[in-house]
Formats: sequence, structure tokens, C-alpha cells
Amino acid sequence: MSALEQASLVESAPGMNRRRLLVMAGRIGLAALLVLAWQVAADTAGDLYFPQPLAVARRIAEDTASGALPWNTYVTLRLSVIGFLLGCAAGILVPFLLRLSPRLTGAVEPYIMASVGVPKYALIPLFILWFGIDDAPKLWLIGLLVFYVVFIAVFAGIRNVDARLVTMARVLGASESVISRRVIWKSLTPFFFAALKIALPRAVSAAIIGEFLVGNAGLGFVIENSRQQVDSTGVFTGILVATALVLAINAVLERADRRVNAWRPVDRHMEI
Amino acid sequence: MAAGAILEIRGLAKRFRARAPGAESPWIIRDLSFSVREGELLTIVGPSGAGKTTLLNMIAQTDTASGGEVRFRAQVAPLGDAKALRPGLSRQIGYITQDDNLLPWRTCLGNVLFPLEVQGRLDGQTRARAQSLVEAVGLAGFENHYPHELSGGMRKRTSLIRTLVYDPPVILMDEPFGAVDAQTRALLQADLLRLWGEGRKTIVFVTHDIAEAIALGDRTLVLSRAPASVKSEHLISIPRPRDIGGILTRPEFVTLYQAIRAEVA
Repeated sequence: MSALEQASLVESAPGMNRRRLLVMAGRIGLAALLVLAWQVAADTAGDLYFPQPLAVARRIAEDTASGALPWNTYVTLRLSVIGFLLGCAAGILVPFLLRLSPRLTGAVEPYIMASVGVPKYALIPLFILWFGIDDAPKLWLIGLLVFYVVFIAVFAGIRNVDARLVTMARVLGASESVISRRVIWKSLTPFFFAALKIALPRAVSAAIIGEFLVGNAGLGFVIENSRQQVDSTGVFTGILVATALVLAINAVLERADRRVNAWRPVDRHMEI
Repeated sequence: MAAGAILEIRGLAKRFRARAPGAESPWIIRDLSFSVREGELLTIVGPSGAGKTTLLNMIAQTDTASGGEVRFRAQVAPLGDAKALRPGLSRQIGYITQDDNLLPWRTCLGNVLFPLEVQGRLDGQTRARAQSLVEAVGLAGFENHYPHELSGGMRKRTSLIRTLVYDPPVILMDEPFGAVDAQTRALLQADLLRLWGEGRKTIVFVTHDIAEAIALGDRTLVLSRAPASVKSEHLISIPRPRDIGGILTRPEFVTLYQAIRAEVA
């Protein structure tokens, strides 16, 4: 960087701060506007369609104090994480196994790609039939949804690896397993994280849908149970907490992404 | 086998697959033979498109041959079948390609240590050697920079010492200083000569730059147009250590330059 560029960066720092403040103010303003719209909707449409924001806030506070909400959140989170880990492991393992045999890949690929088209939620009745009404059918659903997203990203990532880097590593004496871990895996981590950002919210959604249908705990159960009792406040509470859960997971993921992919010459910050 | 030859290329041939059905598949290299003595710095020049990179790929065992053989220390390298290839011939042949091929997620030092790590040879001693090479080519202070934060010349230096660090007996270089400006190139050439003077590795250096071939080499081979074979051989008797800048005006340099240019053109 030249001295001139550095000087202009230093000069623009206060400007950047002002811009950041404006963005922040805009965000808070939008949130206020959203709550206001909600309030207006509640006043005009009535409690059945839009419960009072304050009532929902009170419900969240009560159910948190009683321990019901934390427990249900934990149930959903646990289910999502286990299903996610299973699907993720398979989504990484299968493409790396396929890499060992181009012929097998050629044979299997069209079937995998065709099965992407199967609507996974439509399989829920089958999963219940096959795996009972415990966690198993829900885990299959979550795992399958996550598997496809991760599989496609890792598969494409392996194909996109710079072949020259692989050749270089071979010449330097790297074994195939070292190449898989230290060259191929490393170069596809950006693909992998992009997939995770899609897969993790989906895992939570799938857990909630699973809980609509099977079981007696979890945020999905809270939402469905409240609906059956015509308790819109409970439905809204469940949705809000589920959204917060997804946002929290995304924040953790974002942080991990920044750490792991710090080497990339990409600017992820909006300031510049 | 020639006395003292570490590497011997005999009747090497490479034929590319035909572009159109029915068309004859073209020979890119045919009946190419030469040998390299232990500790020699052999330079090879030829017109572009003469198959210089293909030749090095075959010697490095990253590409198959359509005929002929490559012998390393009298042992024949398997070149016929893609599956039997042993890239780098079990770490005996280092290969510095035209592109630096640095791992973008590793720092400068991380890239230099990479071969030691994958070979399971990273210890205090080899790490110290890596550090001294980093300093020898002027990269001190840039160890923790990622490749995209380094200049073209620095990336070339990193790539050069990444191969030197694990000390393969033979090093192939494919226009390693091709994509940098003239001044940086002269510095890199001086670095290479100094490092080579200390270790006396066997180097096969391919370039299209005749001046570079003469300035660096003990001996220069001139390749013919495709299908490539060895057209002529020139012994470079200019004494070492050589001064890269001053060499260009020496009468023997000028004579050699004109002779080789007439052959390449």
C-alpha cells in the first residue's frame, strides 16, 4: 500500500464511522417500524390473527421463567444439531469416497442428482412408517435435507480444486489422504461454509416441521399445540423464538467462517 | 549410460490425441535424447510450442510418454501408464512450474514448510533450514503474509525455496522467472545462481530466453520445432561465479547468443 493510499484511509475513518452509525440507526428504525405495523395489525385485525406484541413479550417472559420455553428450545436445538451433524458427515464423506473411483462416480451421479428432486417433506409419512414416532423419523428428515445441500457443495468443490495444486502436492511427496485433507478439503472450505449457511436454518425448519407431526416437545410442538388451542399468542411466541434460534446459529457460523477462511482476499464487511 | 549421468533421457516421444476423428495424432516430441550430469545446471531453449513443458512433465512423472524412457540413477521410470506414474519419483525430482502454485490458504512460511510436513520431516533442524532459505532470498518479514499479499517476485521466490527446502537430488524448472519484470528477473537469477553455487544441485532449467539460458547454464540444449528433438548442444565456458549483469557484454556470451539465436529462429 502506498503512503498516499494509507493517508486517504486514515482520513476516511471518521466518514466510515458516520456511515456505520447511519446503518445502525436505519436498522433500529426498521425494527421499530415493524413492531409498529404489528401493533396496528393487532388493533385492526384482532387477537386471533395478530396477537398484541406486548402479550407475546409477556408470554415469552413467563414461559422462560417457568422453564418451559428453554426446555422446548433445547429439544429443538438438540434435534437440529444431531440431524445436522449426521447429514453433514454423510455429505462430506460420500463425495470424498466417490473421488476414489471416477467410474463409480459416473454410475452413481445421475441417481444422486435425480434424488435431489424428491421433495423430502413428502417422505415424512414414510419415515414415520419405517422409523416409528420417536426422534428417528425427524432425524432422517433433517439429515437428508442437510446431506443434499452439503453433498452438492462438497462434490462441486472437489471438482473445482485447482488440479495444478494437487499435482504440485504429489510431486512434493504428499500421499492421497494428505492431499484430500490438506489440499482438497482446504480449498473447498469456502464452498462448505456457503452450504452450511443454507443447511443449518433448514435443519431447524425441518426439526420444527417434524415436531408438528410427531412428539410432545420442542418449538414445533409449541406452535402446533397453541394453534390447536386457538392460542395465537403461543404461535407467535414459538415463531419468534425459532427465528431467534436460527439467527443465533447463523451468528456462530459466521464467526467460524471468518476464522477458518481468514486467508481469503475477500472483503466481507460492508464498510468498504 | 554416460559416465556420471544422474538423469538420462532416451528416445523420448509424446504424441497428443488427434483433434478430429480420422486426423493423424500429432507428435509433439519425438526421439529426444540427452543426459544430465550430477551437479550440472543444464539449460534448454526452444521456440514456444516446442513441447518444453511437456518434456519436463514427463521427466517429473506428471504426464505419460508415448515412447522412450527416462532413467534416474540408472533406474527406469514407469512412463507408459497414467496409473503407474510416480510424480516426483518419490521426492527425488523437484519441479518448479511456470505458475507458482502456492497454496492460497497458507502463509509464505506455511507454503515453504508444506513439503516437510507432508513428508513427515518437519523438525527443529529442517525448520531452521526453511528459515535460513527465507532469509537467503529476502523474504524475511514476509513469513506470515498470504500469497495474495506478496508481489509476483516474492511468490516466485517462495515457490523456489519450497522445492529447495526438501533437497531433491534433481530440480526441474519450467521458465520459473517468466512472468516477472526484467529487474526482478535478474535478481531471481542471481539468487538462483548463489543458492545453486552453495548446494550444487542438478538442475534442468527450461526457458525461451536465450540470454537467460547462457547466463545460468553449464550447458545449453537447443530444441527444434515440434516434433521436438535436440537440435544442438553448447558448452558454456564462461567462468563462475558469474555476474548476471556484467555477463551480457562478454565476447563469448555474444558469440554463443548469436549462434543459438540463429538455431532457434
